[in-house]
Amino acid sequence: MSDTPGGGLGTVLDPATLRRLLGLALARGGDYADVFCERRVATSFRLQEGQIHEGGLTVTQGVGIRVIDGESAGYGFSDELTFDALERAASVASLIARSANSTTAPRLQEQSVSAPYDTHRTAPADSSVYVDLLQRADVAARAVDYRIVAVNAFITDELQDVWIANSLGKITHDHRPMVTLGVQAAAKEREVRAHGYVGDGGRTSVDFFDKRTPESIAREAANISAINLQAREAPAGEREIVVGAGGGGVLLHEAVGHGLESDFNRRGVSLYSGRVGQRVASELVTIHDDGDLPEERGSLGVDDEGNPARHKVLVGNGILCGYMQDHLNGTLMGVGSTGSGRRQSFRVMPQPRMCNTFMPDGGSTFEEIIGSVNRGIYAKSFAGGQVEISKGDFVFMIAEGYLIENGKITAPVRGATIAGNGPEAMTKVVAVGNDGRLASRHYTCGKGGQLVPVGVGMPTVKISSINVGGSNFD
Amino acid sequence: MIDPVEFATEVVKQTLSAGATQAEAAITVGERFSVEARGQTVTKLEQSTANSLALRVFLGRRKALLHTSDFEPRSLGDSIARLLAGAAHVAPDQYAGLPEDMQAVDDLDLKLFATDVVERDAQSKIREAQDLEAAIRAWDARIDNSNGARYADAVVTSVLVNSLGFAGSYRGTRASRGVSPVASDGADKRTASYNTAGRSVRAMESVQSVAENAARRTVEMFGARKPQTMRVPVIFERDVAAAVLADIFSALSGANVAVGNSFLGDKIGDRIGSGLATIVDDGRLPGGLGTVPYDAEGVATGRTVFFERGTLRSYALDTYYGRKLSMVSTGNAQSGGIGPNNVYLEAGTSTLEELIAATSRGVLVMDTIGFATEYATGTYSRGARGFQIENGELAYPIEEFSIAGTFPAMLAGIDAVANDLRFDSTVVSPSFRVAEMTVSGN
Repeated sequence: MSDTPGGGLGTVLDPATLRRLLGLALARGGDYADVFCERRVATSFRLQEGQIHEGGLTVTQGVGIRVIDGESAGYGFSDELTFDALERAASVASLIARSANSTTAPRLQEQSVSAPYDTHRTAPADSSVYVDLLQRADVAARAVDYRIVAVNAFITDELQDVWIANSLGKITHDHRPMVTLGVQAAAKEREVRAHGYVGDGGRTSVDFFDKRTPESIAREAANISAINLQAREAPAGEREIVVGAGGGGVLLHEAVGHGLESDFNRRGVSLYSGRVGQRVASELVTIHDDGDLPEERGSLGVDDEGNPARHKVLVGNGILCGYMQDHLNGTLMGVGSTGSGRRQSFRVMPQPRMCNTFMPDGGSTFEEIIGSVNRGIYAKSFAGGQVEISKGDFVFMIAEGYLIENGKITAPVRGATIAGNGPEAMTKVVAVGNDGRLASRHYTCGKGGQLVPVGVGMPTVKISSINVGGSNFD
Repeated sequence: MIDPVEFATEVVKQTLSAGATQAEAAITVGERFSVEARGQTVTKLEQSTANSLALRVFLGRRKALLHTSDFEPRSLGDSIARLLAGAAHVAPDQYAGLPEDMQAVDDLDLKLFATDVVERDAQSKIREAQDLEAAIRAWDARIDNSNGARYADAVVTSVLVNSLGFAGSYRGTRASRGVSPVASDGADKRTASYNTAGRSVRAMESVQSVAENAARRTVEMFGARKPQTMRVPVIFERDVAAAVLADIFSALSGANVAVGNSFLGDKIGDRIGSGLATIVDDGRLPGGLGTVPYDAEGVATGRTVFFERGTLRSYALDTYYGRKLSMVSTGNAQSGGIGPNNVYLEAGTSTLEELIAATSRGVLVMDTIGFATEYATGTYSRGARGFQIENGELAYPIEEFSIAGTFPAMLAGIDAVANDLRFDSTVVSPSFRVAEMTVSGN
């Protein structure tokens, strides 16, 4: 196999060994078994108070073995890579199956993988390149405004190798690079303090920052913090909302995306359960999820079950088209995997997850959309969000937001949470812009305690009414 | 693996020979078991032993950190070499370095280890998850589905060795149970979740009580309305109250205070909260989930009063931020920064029901969503659900609203604290009432 590392993991990756482990896993029967081998090396540096504050190295290596029997899954993993330790993991996983007969593991065949990123990328030999980028970011952020009082910046450069062998006879290997550079700027004027954060990167190398310079990232962060200094408390109550292009895509991710993950739907606990083919949103709403976009954070050659992370239409002109499936749920629902099985590491089982979720362009211009709002909020970017699956109630924290008064963007607002109901908000989408783009790449999604990198994107979108949770009464 | 203390000592030695001036190795060996059931089907069964090493190195006053699960000798040697090469790029920092004052106490009876966790057989754990499922479904006919019932436990061995001669080791257990019912009344689906945890199986809330709490929280939200936008007293039920306290703890963290990212900066000695706001961290609470004899740097834990009847007395500090702020470590170093041991708001004497009865019009918050917090300004804003209180009674469930305010105003506004404090997490709180907050609804 290509790029096989030495040491313990190299031994495990021998196809004969993998097949033996699959055989042990299926010793008590079961429909399916897989062996997930991972090695991930991440280098990081943090800058604080104008200085490189700390360096870090994280090595994650181990093997997870899973057995699926109907809707049941057994799992064992080991970071110790002796055959004995892996045999124990296989035997633990096998306990879930209760058939009298063992299932045989077939001969394994390596499948080729095509990924939308460089699968031969290596780590830079010298760390000075990271240090340089951080110092450039620091200088640029401080130069924006005399009120910038603190800059924190970090860079992480990671290479993750995964090898997945399964009882369908497949072995796949994906080599996933990821760089992220994030800058947080704090501005202060008298007793008021405000923040701005911007990050970017993707499944690429530090060369990415030749074009998307650390200066440009830092200036954006510093500008947001300076703007937020002037921000007033957000109003409380129902408002028209214009959600900004790019980062506004967090709205799709939270308000709709999670509800379309197949584990919730197979169990019938999502409000979208059993609604494929039905209208779930205004006809202006189309939502895609795609793991095959060049160098995006959520892109994958294969998902963590070895299936290609395909392009999927989740919602087309307001009609629900399908769910995001992993192997277990896709099999039980009779549609198969959509390449959406993802996991944080070898220590946990995969779940159906989003990759890069976005909405294609509509027909309105940004100016038309803003001009149509009488009294509302322009939520240019979000600091994060959360959703409750069964009813679809969500919240987003606005990172950069403005009042819209009589068709014009006026004062910045801060500290606002917008709260609403996903399906209801999607029926209230009354305009979609022609300015769609993917957000700058720094989003990470959490589900069931597992974090995975994702991408989001959207054109400017207008929602006719949503709850703004500010503290300013009017 | 060989004996972890021996291994950690070896790693420290090896790191010094590779050129480090100081080194600290922390080894964690965790043996974990977890089971999930839905209905009477066992849907997940997981068991594993995980080993990890966290190595802090100092090159003079430059620091770097390695986390690894790859202990293969040649690979570990490479990692240490790479880490030291990285450390050379870090700026010297006068406050960086191992603590001077450490204490490897091992004769304390902190009740970290419970035999009822290790002696329990897998069948009874599986049965428990199935029992939780049966109990929620028996409680109300509308509960016809679930996101699963879980039982999990762990035995964790923690070892810490540093180049100044500190060597310590302790072993702790932890068990947890929880269930997430889904209820349907035809038109509407409702979910909730309820969990408990403890150092021993015996210390946890019973299976029946967990199931009842989960079931009640699920069905009581049927018929929820959106409240009016108003300024009223807000009661935070204990789980939500604990989440507020966790945010306040972040603002108390020296890491935020030192860089100006806290509304509590330069406020030691100031009266910020009401007389009912006494917030404490007790690192040696017997049987506490966050109880440890010494923190992640080997500094002895103890009792730290952050707020004494509303007055700010101390921040939460590790060695680095202690030095930086000209204070001393409070024993709050944790892998990855500063963290809580057993942080709590001191309990009052009345029940939650009495708090509700003493509120003529207000809101009881049972659950919040959202997490971004501006620690510098102390701005607080969350999506929420709970109950409208009218004339001292829970009038009807409410949802799709948000509550907003600032932490200083909330601390100052605490005008009643209930007696329902329970140590089932590392940050806990009794239910409390804030005199007035903004509730945004219709």
